[in-house]
Amino acid sequence: MTREEHLKALRDTITTMNLDGVKAVAQAAMDDGLDPREAITEGMVPGMVEVGQKFEEGEYFLSELVVAGEVMKDGMEVMEPYLTAGAEEEKKARAIMATVEGDYHDIGKNIVVTLLGVQGFDVADMGMDVSADRIVEKVKEYHPDVVGLSALLSTTMSHMGDVIEALKNAGLRDSVKVIVGGTPVTPAYADSIGADHCAANAIEGVHKCAEWVKN
Amino acid sequence: MAEMTRRERILTASRKKMADSVPFFHNWRHCQQGAAERDCRNRGMGLSWARPSYTFTWHGVDVTETWKEYTTGPAELRRTFKTPVGTISQVEKREAGVGQWHANRSWGDVTPWQTERAIKGPEDYKVLRYMYENLEIKPDYFPLEQAKDWLGEDGFIWDWVPHQGVQLLMIDWVGSEGGRFFVHHARYPDLVDELFEVISKAYEPLWEIAAGSPSDFFLLADNIDAVLVNPRLFEKYFMPEWEKCCAKMHAAGKLVGVHCDGRMAPLKDLVPKTSIDVIEALHVPPMGDLTIGEALELWPDKVIWTGFPGSTYALGPEETKRQALEMLRGMGTGERVCFEMSTENQVSNENLLALTSVLEHATLPLTAEKIDEIERSLE
Repeated sequence: MTREEHLKALRDTITTMNLDGVKAVAQAAMDDGLDPREAITEGMVPGMVEVGQKFEEGEYFLSELVVAGEVMKDGMEVMEPYLTAGAEEEKKARAIMATVEGDYHDIGKNIVVTLLGVQGFDVADMGMDVSADRIVEKVKEYHPDVVGLSALLSTTMSHMGDVIEALKNAGLRDSVKVIVGGTPVTPAYADSIGADHCAANAIEGVHKCAEWVKN
Repeated sequence: MAEMTRRERILTASRKKMADSVPFFHNWRHCQQGAAERDCRNRGMGLSWARPSYTFTWHGVDVTETWKEYTTGPAELRRTFKTPVGTISQVEKREAGVGQWHANRSWGDVTPWQTERAIKGPEDYKVLRYMYENLEIKPDYFPLEQAKDWLGEDGFIWDWVPHQGVQLLMIDWVGSEGGRFFVHHARYPDLVDELFEVISKAYEPLWEIAAGSPSDFFLLADNIDAVLVNPRLFEKYFMPEWEKCCAKMHAAGKLVGVHCDGRMAPLKDLVPKTSIDVIEALHVPPMGDLTIGEALELWPDKVIWTGFPGSTYALGPEETKRQALEMLRGMGTGERVCFEMSTENQVSNENLLALTSVLEHATLPLTAEKIDEIERSLE
């Protein structure tokens, strides 16, 4: 197979969500000597971008986004051993994403994590039920451009304000943009706690993050 | 027209007939007894009580629970299901207060959440399959009869079934965090479909039992949000189950509702193809994606029980009044709509009174002038 054929096959495994075939396709590409970075950035990532676009247009749903991400994960597993250390990494924008303390819902957050990855961000996904203290520690260590906070429950969304207060107290508030989102979170509420933006939905939120780091 | 009782008002509107005023009620599970609740009930707020008409018995399943209490943070409950074909277990975290009052929630209104799922991998499906193959469902009408007797005309009782079919897997057994259910559905489609069929068959006696219960209303407590339940899943796994349920309930003269408190717009063309009578807990923007007016227009043969957005309550009583007036203005003459005060427990007295101050005057048919008058009365 030619280089182009391998890249197309990799892209197609993502867009067709070919969980059964992705490992063989990735292995064939590696066996033929395809540069693993090219395989990722010019094969699999464009596949994810296509899936992300279809999600934005409402043609695909969360299930497709999740399964495409799973296919990518399987492909990466094959290619990772071929990635040689030392190559100069392009500096990327960074984001931290977390569902706030007491909240065990991560669907919206995970969509944002996936789409931020597609937009070229390095994302530290802190998971669910994350305390303000842990987020502050992570900001100190990871130096993100953006902190994204998610809550599904009206009873837990007040913890978003706790995170912003904790960032202020640690002297870190001005070093990051804070975006909040989740079903009960409104722009008025986001304003009241001092967030920089309330995401109307995952897609709009990701576009806002991209806009911030571009400027 | 003589003033209707709260029960008559809710059921009349739910049967698509003109009630004397917009019905509004609180679900007993979320309603906190006290000064404001009494005042609001005296001013027209009804109550709804949800109780099951059946019992579940898992034959051949040894269920054990072990607790880990923490001095700080939530307690951890491990529940193990031991069967002849294998053992599965799940871990649930519970904040203080769960089980100590009438809601299955903590003092802070947080429901228990699972941190370890019973279905971890493909090998676990056979255990769950065994459990549902050996599930016996028997009628038990006493809880509903008792509640009906206690409640009288102050509201109505509803019979309900917890999540069923695929939603059981999405929410209870496999879980959806990290997209778990979707990953299982993609990696093990045969296992998911086989289990779905087994659960569907296991639930068949339930529809028969519920059809004979003393309740006028049956709630399918699926938790519909198109973010999780996309149109393809909805059509394949939900609609056929709902039709089975509706056929039995309608033959017995009962109304059927489904809990739809998430985003419904992607399902707008499929909802009319169902035989469901009531879209329960529809949430308008900012929490949902359809206004009451849009839902009424899209689904002319459905009744809308609208939930009141928790995010509005978070902004206080003035915003609560404003949102309530906006909702009234968007629902035409007000037919085919009931207001549920909340799907959460933490409605402050001030917010409950604020919402009641708007709804208590909402006589039908609604007109723009009437709503303006309600607004003036609040000044």
